[in-house]
Amino acid sequence: MSIFNNAALLIAVPLLFAFSIPLFGFVSKQLTKWVALFTIGFNATFSLYILLAHKYPTVVVMGNWVPPFGENLYIGPVAAFLVSVISLIGLLIAIYNLWAIKLGDVTRFSVLFLMFIAGASGMVLTGDIFNLFIFMEITGVSSYALVAYGPRRRALGGAFKFLVVSSIGSTLYLLGVMLIYTQLGTLNIAEIAARINQTTPGLLTFAGILLISGLAVEAELFPFNGWVPDTYTGAVNGISAALSGVGAIAGVYALFRIVMTVLGRDGTYVFTYGKLDLMTVVAILATATVIIGELSALVQKNVKKMLAYSSMAQMGLVAAGFSIGSKLGVYGGIFQLVNHSIAKSMLFLIVGVLVGSGLGERIEDFKGLWRRSPFLSLAFTIGAFSMLGFPLFAGFWSKFAIVGASIQRGGWYDFVIGLILFASVVEAFYYLRIVTYIFSSTSIKEPKIRVNLSPAIPIFILAVVIVAIGIYPNFIGSFSMQSAGEFTHKMTGYVLNVIPTIAAH
Amino acid sequence: MMQEFLQNWIYFIASLSLVGVGLYIVLTKENIFRIIVGLNIIESGTNLFMVAIAWHPNAVMPIYTATNHLMVNGKVVTADPLPQSLVLTAIVIGLGTTALALAIGIKIFEKYGTLDVRKIKEAEK
Repeated sequence: MSIFNNAALLIAVPLLFAFSIPLFGFVSKQLTKWVALFTIGFNATFSLYILLAHKYPTVVVMGNWVPPFGENLYIGPVAAFLVSVISLIGLLIAIYNLWAIKLGDVTRFSVLFLMFIAGASGMVLTGDIFNLFIFMEITGVSSYALVAYGPRRRALGGAFKFLVVSSIGSTLYLLGVMLIYTQLGTLNIAEIAARINQTTPGLLTFAGILLISGLAVEAELFPFNGWVPDTYTGAVNGISAALSGVGAIAGVYALFRIVMTVLGRDGTYVFTYGKLDLMTVVAILATATVIIGELSALVQKNVKKMLAYSSMAQMGLVAAGFSIGSKLGVYGGIFQLVNHSIAKSMLFLIVGVLVGSGLGERIEDFKGLWRRSPFLSLAFTIGAFSMLGFPLFAGFWSKFAIVGASIQRGGWYDFVIGLILFASVVEAFYYLRIVTYIFSSTSIKEPKIRVNLSPAIPIFILAVVIVAIGIYPNFIGSFSMQSAGEFTHKMTGYVLNVIPTIAAH
Repeated sequence: MMQEFLQNWIYFIASLSLVGVGLYIVLTKENIFRIIVGLNIIESGTNLFMVAIAWHPNAVMPIYTATNHLMVNGKVVTADPLPQSLVLTAIVIGLGTTALALAIGIKIFEKYGTLDVRKIKEAEK
């Protein structure tokens, strides 16, 4: 167990600056956006330092109480990688916000945005299931308020729906945590993971179902994702990008940390303890999510709603990849998760720029975009190709890995191959429809769209990253592979790094 | 038997049925204010459940004094202090969520002039 207490700054600094932003707001409202930008910039730099200087696996010990007794943060390969992704995408969205957020209460927007990033980082870093609940609520409460931001009244409906579903979800999660606490008397993830088979199987299954239903809300899995379309459509585009790029990462991480590390059983493929294999339950939910999400996206006329349903479907693919339970499957899942965050947040930012320059959100409004703004058209095309898994774009490699994993596992998991092909075909249909509209010419002469520097920078960087991953997948793939090991080998990958002296019972 | 049942189980059953009642209200009611009340009932149910698992009929307070013995015949007889501290956090979080929900509800009433979910849906079309 190596200790690196400075890593607590990844949560402490954004929280500190979030609550001191109102002071900066007295000076100037515009200054607060720069404070948020530099704070997330610090997070991005520090997390990249941890990732690239290979400071992990390491534990942050609070107040010198070693893990089973005190609260701790654990930074393994997964946490180091995902915190970097979260803070980098957060940084790019903060750059976009410099341009996009002008009206209304800019100061409080910056406060909430920093809290959102801090909460999402905390969800990924924490090593305690009750703290996971607290960080879930920090992320959740700040995102309800962020969704409600904006001039349009439909934002309020989306925010309220998200609030209701998400707070029921987190309450169910809390019930599950308490049921496990009654059995084991501990809240530390590592200790629970090591001792999970001392619990009563029936109660464990019930607790597992409660935990899954709570976490599936943020991970956008089927029966719990009714909030997705309204919330994504209602929110301003920067926030839709943050929800799909940052919130979804934290949600999926939390779900599979619970299902695979806490409830899981080591082996060639991960199963769970209890009377029911919860990995299979997740696989079924994921399949339903993909099918419903893709088919709903197909009929949408509104681009934002289409992107929202597509986001839901992609989360289903991620969960299907994870639920295969082998190292290759988890590798594909994490890779797909990161690719989706990059591409989907870029697409939302592009829609934001277009809406900002007076274009509508309907698919027909994209007609002839190539003549008006070649840069945005190319970026949108790159994002769309990555989403549908076109070869030599980022999304291809992750879908390929998931297909490979399902072939390797065999048995009834072969359905994942069909699922991925189905998803790709449907995605190809609705994304290429927009791409066709973009490149089709219109007779009406319309003025060119001027793209300001601050939204152009994040869109350009994200597009370059998608192409770079597509050409050289190892760039993200090597980190995903290390992360997959942490999920599939829970004792050597997670528990023994946190509590070296514990034995599996 | 009946007394033991009442002492040990009634709190679990009552708190979990509060969760059920709350879920029913949230799922069936169409008024935004009633939905918020339902959310609060779910939260109260969870909080009561957390307090109930920490307690048993002969528990003493978990503070060590000269007259309050925490161990009797090698068995811990205190109430479990941890869920009680967790429940404080959960109550505060519930308060924050409720306040935000009410704020959004007021905004919805200002913009739509109604709190009925169906009418809001029609207004959007």
